Amino acid sequence: MIKQKNTSKRSDKKLKVSEKDLNDYYWAYFMIAPTIIGLIILNIWPLIQTIYLSFNRTGDFGINQWIGLDNYKQMLADPIVWQATLNTLKYTAISVPIGVILSLGIAVLLNSKIKGKTIYRTIYFLPMVSAPAAIAMVWRWLYSSDFGLINYLLSFVGVKGPNWLTNPKLALLSIVVVGIWSYLGYNMIILLAGLQEIPKSFYEAATIDGAGPIRQFFSITFPLISPTMFFVVITSMITGLQVFDLIFMMISKSNAVMESTQSLVYLFYNYSFVMNDKGYGSTIIVLLLAIILLITVIQLKLQKKWVHYE
Amino acid sequence: MKKSLKKIIAVALTSIVVMTTLVGCGSSKTTSDTSGKPVTLTYAIWDKNQQPGMQAIADSFHKLNPNITVKVQVTPWETYWTKMDAGASSGTLPDVFWMHSNNFTKYANGDMLMDLTDTIKNSKDVKMSNFPKSLVSLYTLEGKVYAMPKDYDTIALWYNKTMFDKKGIAYPDGTWDWNKYLEVAKKLTDPSKGVYGVVAPSDDQQGYYNFVYQNNGYILSPDKKKSGFSLAATKQAIQWNVDLSQKYKVSPTQQQFADTSFATYFESGKAAMGLFGSWMVSEFKANDYVSKNCDVAVIPHGKTKATIINGLANVVSSKTKYPVEALKFEDYLGTKAANILQAEKGAAIPAYIGTEQPFIDNTKQFNLKVYPEMLDYSVLFPNSATKAKWYEIQNNTMTKVYTGQLTVEQGCNIIDKQMNALLATEK
Amino acid sequence: MKGKIKSSNLIVHIILIIGAFAMLLPFIWMIITSLKNLTESTTIPITIMPKDFKWSNYIDVWNQLPFAKFYINTMLMMFFRVIGSVFFSAMAAYAFARIDFPGKKFFFMIILIQMMIPGQIFIIPQYIMVSKLGLLNTVTALVIPGMVSAFGTFLLRQFFIGIPKELEEAAILDGCNRWQVFWKVMLPLTRSGLVALGIFTSVFAYKDLMWPLIVNMSLDKMPLAAGMASLQGQYSTNFPQLMAGSMIAIWPMLIIFIIFQKQFVEGVASTGSKS
Repeated sequence: MIKQKNTSKRSDKKLKVSEKDLNDYYWAYFMIAPTIIGLIILNIWPLIQTIYLSFNRTGDFGINQWIGLDNYKQMLADPIVWQATLNTLKYTAISVPIGVILSLGIAVLLNSKIKGKTIYRTIYFLPMVSAPAAIAMVWRWLYSSDFGLINYLLSFVGVKGPNWLTNPKLALLSIVVVGIWSYLGYNMIILLAGLQEIPKSFYEAATIDGAGPIRQFFSITFPLISPTMFFVVITSMITGLQVFDLIFMMISKSNAVMESTQSLVYLFYNYSFVMNDKGYGSTIIVLLLAIILLITVIQLKLQKKWVHYE
Repeated sequence: MKKSLKKIIAVALTSIVVMTTLVGCGSSKTTSDTSGKPVTLTYAIWDKNQQPGMQAIADSFHKLNPNITVKVQVTPWETYWTKMDAGASSGTLPDVFWMHSNNFTKYANGDMLMDLTDTIKNSKDVKMSNFPKSLVSLYTLEGKVYAMPKDYDTIALWYNKTMFDKKGIAYPDGTWDWNKYLEVAKKLTDPSKGVYGVVAPSDDQQGYYNFVYQNNGYILSPDKKKSGFSLAATKQAIQWNVDLSQKYKVSPTQQQFADTSFATYFESGKAAMGLFGSWMVSEFKANDYVSKNCDVAVIPHGKTKATIINGLANVVSSKTKYPVEALKFEDYLGTKAANILQAEKGAAIPAYIGTEQPFIDNTKQFNLKVYPEMLDYSVLFPNSATKAKWYEIQNNTMTKVYTGQLTVEQGCNIIDKQMNALLATEK
Repeated sequence: MKGKIKSSNLIVHIILIIGAFAMLLPFIWMIITSLKNLTESTTIPITIMPKDFKWSNYIDVWNQLPFAKFYINTMLMMFFRVIGSVFFSAMAAYAFARIDFPGKKFFFMIILIQMMIPGQIFIIPQYIMVSKLGLLNTVTALVIPGMVSAFGTFLLRQFFIGIPKELEEAAILDGCNRWQVFWKVMLPLTRSGLVALGIFTSVFAYKDLMWPLIVNMSLDKMPLAAGMASLQGQYSTNFPQLMAGSMIAIWPMLIIFIIFQKQFVEGVASTGSKS
């Protein structure tokens, strides 16, 4: 990246530059202040509290006892935590690429000159505006092995539908489908906004030069939308690693697939809010945070390779 | 009749007020008596079905104490305890709220609840002897009463009359034992139609707990120091229950229950019998099919008779801003009048012995009198200070036992070991 | 030429329709369920069409719950959260995108970190903060956690980065200070981004379930999603009513979305090479 500084100016401008810089700095601090202060009070402070809790054996109503790294030792030896980590990574690794690619595809199609865009956009966005409880309920019925609509329809073509939510090998994938379905419209909107930043003149020039739609996609669309894509990939990954609601609502506690499906946040919720073990729960969150941090940092470093910034 | 009862209550309450102003409320910690000034109390509950009943009690209390208004607030069960926890941690618990046996020890030990012993001693209408002994002991800690029993539930045998009629089998009559239960279940199971004789899920309160106690086993020793999962009697009972779905195939499998709840099987006529708690009555009532075709009988017995009893209670926050008024309302909640109101609105069996009749009358299509009939041999739903943790271990392990991933022997041993470790950490 | 356009349009439509059907299937099921009576909705095997169309479910749910209050609370919650988060995020995003100031990397880390933390850990600490402010059981309490947005800041920063620097520099040369550049030049160019952020903030506010349930107590201070959760009992749920309630609750979001869609004007953003 080339920094564009006014290096071509003379020395008396240097004084102006530093004054100007100072001015810039004041503006910058002013402009980030509300957000940063808000985040520190509302979010960073609770995070610090949580990390603190992970070093304690927590009692009821805030009576805690410092135990240093004991929770961490316990966690590292806990097979349930490892399985949950695996589940979480699996969920993310499958749902993010498929989800993002599908969203990009739909966004591109909806950016073209066809009729009925408003209707399509609204339909694809519908999952985002419905009550989560109702969605979970409906999908559970759709997936029901003996009495669900999906297997019912499959029986018409002579296929015996599998146990979508009760087969340990399938349950996580079934939830992935619902996750992709829920967020498709959301990612699509972001990508659409990004697509609309691309000047039409670029495409017109390319068409005149004889480039076909696929060539145009890879040489114009993709590079120019890559900052937005980057955002979508990062946020989808973070959301994926934090998956909880879907599992909470679709897998009942007495479902034997729980162990091969539960995510780290689900484990945290169980320990902190159901079993009243906030110390261990906090430890799990710290683990998850470390994983997310690691993956995000890797992403940030990789962005230089494929994200096109001006 | 009601008018004179109200007069008595009014006199009782007035005398309490007079006594507390003269003598000073023994257990409350704060403030002057604000009687006379308008006060609004918050009363938190989690079951929307029972809201009409609670509102009726609040309204009737308001008539007797015009300066006190009680606001009933419903928070869904899934969020209720998170909210109470947050409230307890920040000193903002509601003035009066529902307590569940699973959480009682935690709140009482944490000094979040007001000691009601003196209030009850000084009360004209409320005596602990009016409530089932097991419930009272459930909510007593170190000799002090911290909660007013509100209702109780027991487990009974529900059956599908129509399915019985089709096969010409006599309805359960209270004499059934395990063998008879299994025998009838076999007759009613029809694999070709996807119909089962019973539902036998891995549920504890509505399932194997009952059978364990009927077999002279136990889940938790009476002194709460040992787990009962190592007992042969316990394992035997659980094995029998597991066999219903795995060996005799008279019940859907645990995997099927993960998809479709056992209640749904019964409500759709896909299972002829099942054990259900009295809290299911309002759901069954609202269901046309069950209303028309099903009824309830006393639970079958094993070597002895047993049914699991549990009950909710009303508690007062120890940090309430209006201790006098809150205790007044709490006291009222334990009176016969309040319990009758509860019964009339039909969602739960009131804890006050003898006030169940309106509950029974409210639902003529079911033989609900069997629920209070079983009180004599009811066994308290076990709980202890670390229940939240061993309960989780128990349920997860039992799910694996019922799906066949673990044998009964293996599962029980796992639970036994971990439960004992947790129990050892309790005082 | 025309023939070519028509056939490619057809393919596009076919793909979109198949996708749309997959999107709609669960909703169709929701609507059908909302018209059944309770027994029908839970019976196995599943019946597809209701025997009688029980429109009364909608009336019952409407009477049972204070939907008017729910709508108002939801609107207020969304409105203030959107204003706060869009305005504050845009400011911060511009600073991060275009100004090189000391500590920039550190402060941006704070933004990223917030996004990485699962929201469940905020609930109890924020509850305690709100109760100390004496704001329990108010609509203000609903707004507070959403007034600032790390996500929004990140999103808009990406959009700002995509705008060509020449435009800014021209304005600076003309004598504008940073604030004026932000307000007069940058904001108008990221209209789509701002609208997108507005929509998302609204959606997340709308879907927020746990926070309203924990911080507010009475039904008349609940927004839609939380208000409807009260339809779920401890042991049983009236599914048709829950579905009917969901159908009633969808409309505000849907209307907002449809209205703001028109702001997604084709090719307005970034004229770049033209000037």
